[in-house]
Amino acid sequence: MPAKSQAQEIEGDVANGKSLFNSQCAACHKIDRKVVGPALGDVTQRRETEWLIAWIKNNEELRSSGDADAIAIFEEYNGSIMPAFPALSDQDVMDILAYTIDAAKPKEVVPGDPDGSVGTVEEDDNSIFLYILGAILLFLVILLARVKNTLKSVKGDLTTTMMEDANVFTRTALKNPRVITVLTIVIAVVFFQQVYVNLMAVNVDTGYQPSQPIKFSHELHAGENQIDCNYCHSGARKSKHSNIPSANVCMNCHMYINEGPKYGTEEISKIYAAVGWDADKGQYIEGYEQKPIKWVRIHKLPDLAYFNHAQHVTAGNVECQTCHGPIEEMEEVYQYSPLTMGWCIDCHRETKVQVESNSYYKEMHAKLKEKYGAEAEITVEMIGGLECGKCHY
Amino acid sequence: MAENKKYWRGISELENPELVKGLAEQEFPSNIPAEEFLGNRDNLESTHTSRRDFLKYMGFTTAAATLAACESPVYESLPYVVAPEEIIPGIANYYATSYYDGHDYASILIKTREGRPIKVENNKEAKLNGAANTRVHASVLNLYDATRRQRPVVGGTDSDWSSLDAEVMKGLKAAEAAGKQVVVLTSSVISPSQKALINKFGAGFSNFKHVSLDPFSYSNKLDAWQEATGKRALPLYNFANARTIVSVGADFLGDWVGQSVSGDYATTRIPGPNMSRHLQFESGMSLTGSNADKRYKVKAAEYGAVLVNLYNEIASAKGMTSMSGSPIMKAEAKAAAKELLAAGSKALVVCGGNNKENEHLCIAINKMLGNTEETVSYANRSYLRQGDEKAFNTLVGDMKAGKVGALITHNLNPAYVMSGNSDFKAAFEKVPSSIAVSMKYDETAQLAKHVAAESHYLESWGDFSAADNHYSLQQPTIKPLFDTRQFEECLMKWSGLNGSYIDFIKNNWNAGILGSTDWTKVLHDGVFVKSAAVVEEMTAETEMEAGVSIDLAAAAAKALATAKKAPAMELNFTQMTGMGVGTIANNPWLLEFPDPITRVSWDNYLSISAADAAELGLKNWNESNGALNGSTVNLKVNGNTLENVPVFIQPGQTIGTVALAVGYGRFGAGSIADKVGVNAYSLMGMDHSAEVSIEAVADSEHGFACIQLAHTMMGRDIVKEVNLDTYLNEDAQNGHDGWNEPPIFETHKGPLSGEDVNLWDDFDHETGHFWNMSIDLNLCNGCGACVIACHSENNVPVVGKDEMRKHRDMHWLRIDRYYSSDISEENADENGYEGLGLLGKGTTDMYADMEKPSESPEVFFQPVMCQHCNHAPCETVCPVAATTHSSEGLNHMTYNRCIGTRYCANNCPYKVRRFNWFQYHDNMVGMFGDNYAMNDDLGRMVLNPDVTVRSRGVMEKCSMCIQRTQLGKLEAKKRGKALKDGEVQTACQSACDTGAIAFGDVNDKDSKVFKMKQDKRMYHLLAEVGTQPSVFYQVKVRNTTA
Repeated sequence: MPAKSQAQEIEGDVANGKSLFNSQCAACHKIDRKVVGPALGDVTQRRETEWLIAWIKNNEELRSSGDADAIAIFEEYNGSIMPAFPALSDQDVMDILAYTIDAAKPKEVVPGDPDGSVGTVEEDDNSIFLYILGAILLFLVILLARVKNTLKSVKGDLTTTMMEDANVFTRTALKNPRVITVLTIVIAVVFFQQVYVNLMAVNVDTGYQPSQPIKFSHELHAGENQIDCNYCHSGARKSKHSNIPSANVCMNCHMYINEGPKYGTEEISKIYAAVGWDADKGQYIEGYEQKPIKWVRIHKLPDLAYFNHAQHVTAGNVECQTCHGPIEEMEEVYQYSPLTMGWCIDCHRETKVQVESNSYYKEMHAKLKEKYGAEAEITVEMIGGLECGKCHY
Repeated sequence: MAENKKYWRGISELENPELVKGLAEQEFPSNIPAEEFLGNRDNLESTHTSRRDFLKYMGFTTAAATLAACESPVYESLPYVVAPEEIIPGIANYYATSYYDGHDYASILIKTREGRPIKVENNKEAKLNGAANTRVHASVLNLYDATRRQRPVVGGTDSDWSSLDAEVMKGLKAAEAAGKQVVVLTSSVISPSQKALINKFGAGFSNFKHVSLDPFSYSNKLDAWQEATGKRALPLYNFANARTIVSVGADFLGDWVGQSVSGDYATTRIPGPNMSRHLQFESGMSLTGSNADKRYKVKAAEYGAVLVNLYNEIASAKGMTSMSGSPIMKAEAKAAAKELLAAGSKALVVCGGNNKENEHLCIAINKMLGNTEETVSYANRSYLRQGDEKAFNTLVGDMKAGKVGALITHNLNPAYVMSGNSDFKAAFEKVPSSIAVSMKYDETAQLAKHVAAESHYLESWGDFSAADNHYSLQQPTIKPLFDTRQFEECLMKWSGLNGSYIDFIKNNWNAGILGSTDWTKVLHDGVFVKSAAVVEEMTAETEMEAGVSIDLAAAAAKALATAKKAPAMELNFTQMTGMGVGTIANNPWLLEFPDPITRVSWDNYLSISAADAAELGLKNWNESNGALNGSTVNLKVNGNTLENVPVFIQPGQTIGTVALAVGYGRFGAGSIADKVGVNAYSLMGMDHSAEVSIEAVADSEHGFACIQLAHTMMGRDIVKEVNLDTYLNEDAQNGHDGWNEPPIFETHKGPLSGEDVNLWDDFDHETGHFWNMSIDLNLCNGCGACVIACHSENNVPVVGKDEMRKHRDMHWLRIDRYYSSDISEENADENGYEGLGLLGKGTTDMYADMEKPSESPEVFFQPVMCQHCNHAPCETVCPVAATTHSSEGLNHMTYNRCIGTRYCANNCPYKVRRFNWFQYHDNMVGMFGDNYAMNDDLGRMVLNPDVTVRSRGVMEKCSMCIQRTQLGKLEAKKRGKALKDGEVQTACQSACDTGAIAFGDVNDKDSKVFKMKQDKRMYHLLAEVGTQPSVFYQVKVRNTTA
């Protein structure tokens, strides 16, 4: 059967397919690369649609029916079992397949992309203007000095060099008490401002990027592979701590993936050393003394401040990236936000509370409307989010 | 522990011992030419480094070092390798379990964080003893006591389990071979599986005995019940049904027969037409006596006579034959009998002490009143006290005669509780193989040949049946911290049983207890009550046995004889609310807990009446800083002497009686407990009272840590009180002479209440939550469970006796105790106080005398914590705004902002702010060194991770458990539902089983606290200062007519 025609037949909702793919398939499959399972970008060209639907919904049934292709692919992947998805409708599967086709198409480059070069040029422009301005000023100064000297020589006076002028000016200025006062004040202000700025930066570790025992890449996992943050940091939704995942969570995928794109087996084998996994035999080592992985903590609030992830992630619907920055682009994680109290407070002043959608706030919202007007946006500050005892106890 | 091992300090010491020896002798290898350098003036002057330069360099290096130190340390973060499914870091897990230490029993929940047990909560599912008392609340701290026995001891040296097992087996075999007795000596065994195991263990020997002894014996009382009903068990009392309660010496709210009745009692104390009436006859001032509507002072020896009189009055009213009576308390008994008769089957008479005659009279009175199964349950018997004095005495005789080959003690410290029995120690030493199964190297363990280090209850499995049909389970909440084993595992090992104890319990339960109920469900609930069908069967059985009668005439005659020869000075043995019998004595929280009655911590003492003290020349006095001192005495009972017992003058103590609490004066309980108090057990026999001779020690002085100097309210309305008649029939507020009038101020706008006389702008408390707390002074009995619960919830430090003496106690919640005074402004004229007192007693004398408590005082308890004023005096004086007001009606305290000026504490009218004078955590210096609570690595495990540990120099106070309100709100937000009343509970509230504390949002019109705020009994403490607190109290109603 001609492969191309297969691709044409599939009609589905790409958007729905994308969300289904990300939630159901992305843990083991990628569009362009073989991971746990095969790459799916060209799957519609490789297989018939009916076969795909049968396989995706219940591959075990397909295998037991004696389908040669199914058994072959099962054996190719060392008998690792793909779960059945009986909950997906045929249309859902079609949507997913439509998405795989869509996603496999080469992306058009959009001109004026924020990541493009236009922004950089703009920034350079500013400094170039400044240089030009400076050059003009310098030119003017030299020009005026020349004009003055020319006039002087015309008049018959002694001419002075620019250095001599500068000397005279400085001496006169330094003898003037007003100038000295102003100068002292300026120096003092600058000095104290610098002292203040530097002291305020004590223990503010923005950009802190320690090297970790395992070169774990968020760029790869969260960015490229699109693994949801909460899959590993599952505590963030429920608890005050967004826990560092235990090694057994890593093993959910790394039982099958034992080679990374950058460091090969080197880094992944550190997980195996922690949990005691024999990658060759594909099984856990009996009686192994497990060794916890000593990650270096990056984000640390002092004990006197109470911070709760669940409050922000679940109740407040705040994106992880709001505080942690573009995690999905970080090869190695660094502290993105200053984590100072001022930073917290600024956000609490501006952030809107989801009073409409959460019925916890129902009565409070009615009262707040009376107080601030029906159209007012309710910020965290208005519900007491700036009070000391809300975070310090 | 002689060791001949040699240790090297380094490899060089092994390789070149000579060099190392030389180095050790001479710290500096060559002489430093200090003499030459400093002695030579020229040399000194010629150096280029002047003193100034030196200072410059030093200044620079210090600055450089300081700047370099600004770098943050590196923190490591270690996740689990394989995370347990149920543990989510940051979320608490609760496990239902049970506490039993041979004396206290409770069904509880244990809160664990990241696998560490950190707090005890009441198990509200439990029908029996679901309320933890102070000791049970504090017991979680004992888990982290490093002075616990960490490994077994064989023949006096630390050893391991295999050698201990070998030694024990050898001893047991030898005993069996010699035909000697093998004895297991325990406190009352209430665990069905443990009992089965003991029997199984005993079956392996031809001459086996199991003897039980209660640390505070009720043996005679039990004998009385055996004679009366054929079953050696006490009944369960149902105080919830009682309308008239007459207690003759029974401290049922404090320490009586183990059944927790305070919750049931409280249900009858809600003011209204059905409020119960409680009369108490007692010798010393007990917790129960202080809650009574009417309290009569009698000697303990006269309890029997009071009961005889009560019997006669009731018998004659019922037309039954009465016996010859006694003149003691005749009129009072008559009045009491009248009230009992009026209540009919809803009356209840209970008696204290360990006395057979009295108990027989009590049984007879209750039978006459017809309250069986109404207030006294014969169908459901309690097994919390089973100790048998006679069996124990036989055992001591056998031990002395060398008939006992092996003795295993568990859950009992006989060498301590029998320290008054001079035979016991000698007898114990005669046993060839003695094994103490103990958590401590305590008095018994030190005597025993071997010590089996026992696990803490939070590390052990167990099951209990404290009363018929009532069952509960105990489950471990943490792996054993040390190399310890629980008693049952030892027994299994020694009787050659394989498997684990949990399987043994499961089999036992599946065989006879569970029926169709699921084990997992019981494990989840922690408690299990057998179905009604089984109960009926049991009733039939007991009724059959109940045919046994008692010789009442003989009992009465004996009771009267005892009363007649009542000693001139009688010593009563009591238990302190915070210590009980001292099973978990090495607990800093409990030692620092101020006794509800005397407000003294870190001591036991001889309570004596003011009249007796005056006669004996004994005094209590205050030092200039307010610290209380007292004389000391030597006590002599039956030839046993106890020296240097401090004396505390106790209002309400019957003249001719003194009281001394057991549980103190330890030796081997642990580093802190060993230094505290005197051992009352050394004077105590099986009776709870004895004749004593008191000899004052001349020029003696003992320092008390008493934190309340004021005995009375000095004429102020701190605790408002009203009698039931007035409460029911008169208005609370009717202008000016109602029984609950708020203070009124004359202003230019006319008379206004304190709420309306206002300098400040009001906060908006209509929006969102408005947390309020109601404290019902009628329901609070002063038991102090809330104080300990607060201690453990909020990481409150322990400061030690010296600091307590300076009134630097850190309790966020205190229970003030006030006595009534005979003098008041109203009756001043009658008592002859006139004018300025130029000719006689005047106003100043009146105020001075108002401070003296009366000899038969009424007692008031008032829990006081931060009142969370909405016009808080502390907030306005803080120079750094460290204490601020919240939109939810709470007064916030921000520790990291506080600079310790203490203005706030000075300006607080309620004196609830606490200052950290020292660093109380992580401070092993001097007086703090013994305190392990949050002070060593293990002791810090009990800290609540949601509450900041305060450092030196900052103020702290009750936060109204803001960590709990915040959590409650968060859970509601996560669910997307409104917060329901009761979802947020403060630690004190959830510990209070009487329901005296109600906390919630008054903007929620369905909440309990809202209803309490509308109650006509509601008043604010010191309302006249206009602080508008978020905490309010309910007027105490005493069920008296006058």
